[in-house]
Amino acid sequence: MTPLAPSVFLPTGARGRTAGGGRAAWLERRIGLLLVAPAVLLILALSVYPLLYSLWVSFVNYDFLVPGHAFVGLRNFASVIADPIARSSLATTVVLSAIDVAMEFALGLGLALAMARPFAGRGLVTSVLIVPLFISPVIVGQFWALLLQRPFGPTDYVLGILLGQPVTINWLSGFPWNFLALILADVWQWTPFMFVILSAGLTAIPDEPYEAAEIDGVNGWQAFRYITLPQLVPMILLAVTFRLLDAIKLFDVIFMMTGGGPGTSTYTASFFLYELGFQHFHLSEATAGSWLFLLLTAAAVTFLVRRLLRAEAAQ
Amino acid sequence: MSVVRRRRWTGRLRFLAIAAALLYVLLPLYWVAVTSIKPSDDYLAVPPVWFPAHPTLVHYAAALFAYRGLAGLSHSVTVALGATLLSVLLGTPMGYSLARFRTGGTHLAFWVLSQRFLPPVAIGLPIFLLYRNYGLYDTQAGLVLVYTVMTLPLTVWMMFAYFRQLPRELEDAARVDGCGWWQAFLRVAIPLALPGIAAAAVFAFITVWTEFFFALILTSRHAFTLPTVFRSFISFQGAQYGESSALAMVSLVPSILLGVLVQRHLVRGLTLGAVRG
Amino acid sequence: MSKDKDGNTAALGRELDAWLRGDHSRRAVLRQVLAASGYAALGGTLSAGVTQAAVELASPDTPLGRVQAAAVRASTEGPQNGSAYRAVQAARKFKGVTLGMTYEAGLQALEPRNFSGPLWQQLTGMSYNVVELSHPDQYAKPIAEHIAQSGAYDTLDIEPAWIPSLADGGVIAPIDDFVAKYMNMADLEDYHPLYKFLPTYKGKRWGFFDDGDQLALYYRRDVFEDSKLRAAYQAKFNRALRVPQGWDEYAETAQFITDQLAPKVYGAVHFRKAGSPGNQYGFMQEYRANGGVLFDGAMRAQIAGEAGVRTMRQMLAANKGSVPGNDDLDAVAAWVAWLQGKAAMLYSWPPTGRMSENYSQRDKAVNFVPHSAIAGNVGYAVMPGGNGEMASGYVKALAADSANPEAAYLFMQWVTSPPVSLVRVMLPYTLRDPYRMSHYNSPDYRALWPASKEYLSTLAEAANGGVVDMIMPGWQDYALSLDQMCTSVWAGTDPHAALTKAAAEWDAITDKIGVDSQRAAYQQFLKLPGSAANHTIATMGLAVHAN
Repeated sequence: MTPLAPSVFLPTGARGRTAGGGRAAWLERRIGLLLVAPAVLLILALSVYPLLYSLWVSFVNYDFLVPGHAFVGLRNFASVIADPIARSSLATTVVLSAIDVAMEFALGLGLALAMARPFAGRGLVTSVLIVPLFISPVIVGQFWALLLQRPFGPTDYVLGILLGQPVTINWLSGFPWNFLALILADVWQWTPFMFVILSAGLTAIPDEPYEAAEIDGVNGWQAFRYITLPQLVPMILLAVTFRLLDAIKLFDVIFMMTGGGPGTSTYTASFFLYELGFQHFHLSEATAGSWLFLLLTAAAVTFLVRRLLRAEAAQ
Repeated sequence: MSVVRRRRWTGRLRFLAIAAALLYVLLPLYWVAVTSIKPSDDYLAVPPVWFPAHPTLVHYAAALFAYRGLAGLSHSVTVALGATLLSVLLGTPMGYSLARFRTGGTHLAFWVLSQRFLPPVAIGLPIFLLYRNYGLYDTQAGLVLVYTVMTLPLTVWMMFAYFRQLPRELEDAARVDGCGWWQAFLRVAIPLALPGIAAAAVFAFITVWTEFFFALILTSRHAFTLPTVFRSFISFQGAQYGESSALAMVSLVPSILLGVLVQRHLVRGLTLGAVRG
Repeated sequence: MSKDKDGNTAALGRELDAWLRGDHSRRAVLRQVLAASGYAALGGTLSAGVTQAAVELASPDTPLGRVQAAAVRASTEGPQNGSAYRAVQAARKFKGVTLGMTYEAGLQALEPRNFSGPLWQQLTGMSYNVVELSHPDQYAKPIAEHIAQSGAYDTLDIEPAWIPSLADGGVIAPIDDFVAKYMNMADLEDYHPLYKFLPTYKGKRWGFFDDGDQLALYYRRDVFEDSKLRAAYQAKFNRALRVPQGWDEYAETAQFITDQLAPKVYGAVHFRKAGSPGNQYGFMQEYRANGGVLFDGAMRAQIAGEAGVRTMRQMLAANKGSVPGNDDLDAVAAWVAWLQGKAAMLYSWPPTGRMSENYSQRDKAVNFVPHSAIAGNVGYAVMPGGNGEMASGYVKALAADSANPEAAYLFMQWVTSPPVSLVRVMLPYTLRDPYRMSHYNSPDYRALWPASKEYLSTLAEAANGGVVDMIMPGWQDYALSLDQMCTSVWAGTDPHAALTKAAAEWDAITDKIGVDSQRAAYQQFLKLPGSAANHTIATMGLAVHAN
């Protein structure tokens, strides 16, 4: 197993290039363009054009409660920026996704290490562990709501037995339990993501350094710290980057478990924009907010992917 | 501490960690499975009913037949298959082009990748507004198109990576033998890439099958999919626990089966081909 | 869905259950499964198209069967000046037209699918398409369809409080001309006066009221009559235990019962979860019972004043005396706790009364609540303080983009007419609640369970003192703000701070829609019966009583 397929993140020079110039190269360019055209056109039509259109919407009035489409300049942006719920939902998004990804990483790495050496039934256990990846996040949200919600869920009862006294935690509506519940659900679904990628990384590390270390009497922690971890860095960065970029879109689990409550304390950016746009039809404000969110996301993508490329280049 | 004792100790820790992970994964699955066959009288029993004395399938019958589960299931199948097909049909040539001809250099490849990270809510709003002009609002075709765009980064990048690792010499040989580039692509490259295409298709299918947001905002009467029906059991008055659990079971079985089937390719699927499994 | 298919589904469920219990041959089950999968294949191809169905009719010697037969007679034989008969006659010329009708997903939608839809089709030759939407989407999707100009919907089930937003936004159309042309005005007079006025806005009628969602207090007679409990109450408070008459007394009584009887029985149970259905109803109800005023002359929100703080204090006290986990419960979970005998009081919608007597649970569709352990022990009362919220309710409205407005209107008139609507509020699985005097007075409804007469007259009394949701543009926005305010208080936020924040949000909403237009809308809302505790049907001298 190779950690990174021939470094797809890097321009690789001649490997894809054919020899000979002139007509053959011209033809290849034409063929190449022809082959990418349908996909590119579809993306232009359904992603780029809508985004440009939404740029127009964000500068006019487009609101179900206020008639007309007058040009309003930056007012939509200003009112989103001034909205305390918008700001708190952005903060919630950052905090929640950071905690989610950190926990998923820690648990995924631990699990990958625990599963690294073969044992009887490892294949079956792996198959079970990856199951959450294939379930709709809406359903995952409902899973955990059923398990935690009082009085239906058995969680408080079981905790009560374990602790020997009645437990009355409001998992979905009491701070900080509601955040813990959301984290439990997200970690449940996405720890396997980290586990799978980091396992692949572990498998790719050659045996020789460990054998040498054993002879030198290096202990387990030192071997992990000085051999495993450095070799794993590109994989870790890749896994964390991918996961983080998905985690900031958090919507479905919020929708199913807390509905953003209590109050607006569990509003995430996506949930806030959905409520604003699709439940209350303040469309121009929601689009303005979407653009701001998009720009923040783009900044995060650029930053993280740069880091990723640099790490890979350093390998 | 001797090495042997340390080994035994870490061995136990390892076993405990794996057991805990299994419990964590299986507990919610078990609870939903058992809720789906519980008579409603058992819902709130204290202590909780871990397995009902009188299991029932009424929730399945109700979710599928009395409510809209069956229609949602049929829409989900159609839309997921349609989008998967289209995504593979468009994504495979593009992946090939990126790998063989380096079309557009890295910029084009990364532009496609960047689509993967767009927040759905950002394009959801304008797509909703534009779909009325295209006549695509609340149609299965409209959903198929959105899902195709949503899965293209996956199929393009997985195929991009796959074609790059295929030796180019076979295609060159075919062309020396008089095949055109098109035939070299169709007759040589595609058959060699079939396992990769199949894996990409399965991941695209799962992505579409589990998607909720676009289905929520772009459908109402004709094209609603399974996750949106699922959502309607969480109603104004409250949740219909049995029905929603039954429908959850119906929804998760196909995607889990498919997912476990392509387990070998999982790393590739999760990283869009960046890591070879 | 055809009747055969329904029968098949039920049979399948029974067979599979029998198999699980182990008393059936595998082959019988497989046969049924094969039959059902045949329907599954069919269902797939038909699902997007029109669903054809046969009417589900109860046996004619039951009360339900009698009113169903009466509804069919009224539609086909007359009296010829009846609204039902006129609608059917006029609708025949629209044979072949298909109506798209929105209903709340789940039980609400079973009614048009099993009864009124197929019956209408048989009577008129029109087809129908039931569009199932979640409750918030019953507001959002018609707007989306209107923005998308799809014309997908013809009739809409909407909250009365959405009428101003939807009317101003051009989503719904007034029906006055059709009413003048087709309606028998006596049938309009048959509405409870509270409901008669509700669908009017800017001097026009925007639909027919169609679901009497009046909150009332349901209490356990066996608990309140328990001699040991009564003695303890007398000893502690030096007065007799009674069904609470005010909100402070309500919280106090709930706490007392909890202290005495928990964990067997708790004093009360509430649905306090965010959004299911939301705390706006409970807040608006108590706020106005406390004499709260919504806006001042400058249209600044007044909810953070003394009445608001008092309301939150009372609601918190009530929560404290309730079933543990109260703050996490949605309406169904509250029903489950109530039906299992865990609570002595529950204020909720009218289906509570039907479920408590196991009337609803006789239908196979109602399998999300358990059987009632308290049948025969449930008493009915108007809300403490006398002002119960008319929480949500449904108006059947005409979609402005309908391609067949007249046909759609005729369906609306027919389905809400006295004989047809009586069936719809009496079906076991229905969530549609009585709203006409002829419903409250129906001898057949009163024959459903021993105390059903008392139940019906309590509902009529509750509507006399009922307060209505804030029927103004932007209600969804104001309501969301209230719900968020309440749930944040349940989670520990200081009530006054939360109220102040909500008041600021209300002001922002008002400013956005426009202060002047909102002031005009508020002035108009204040004229509606039920806009305030001192302006109800009862205080206006219009009270009616079941006979």
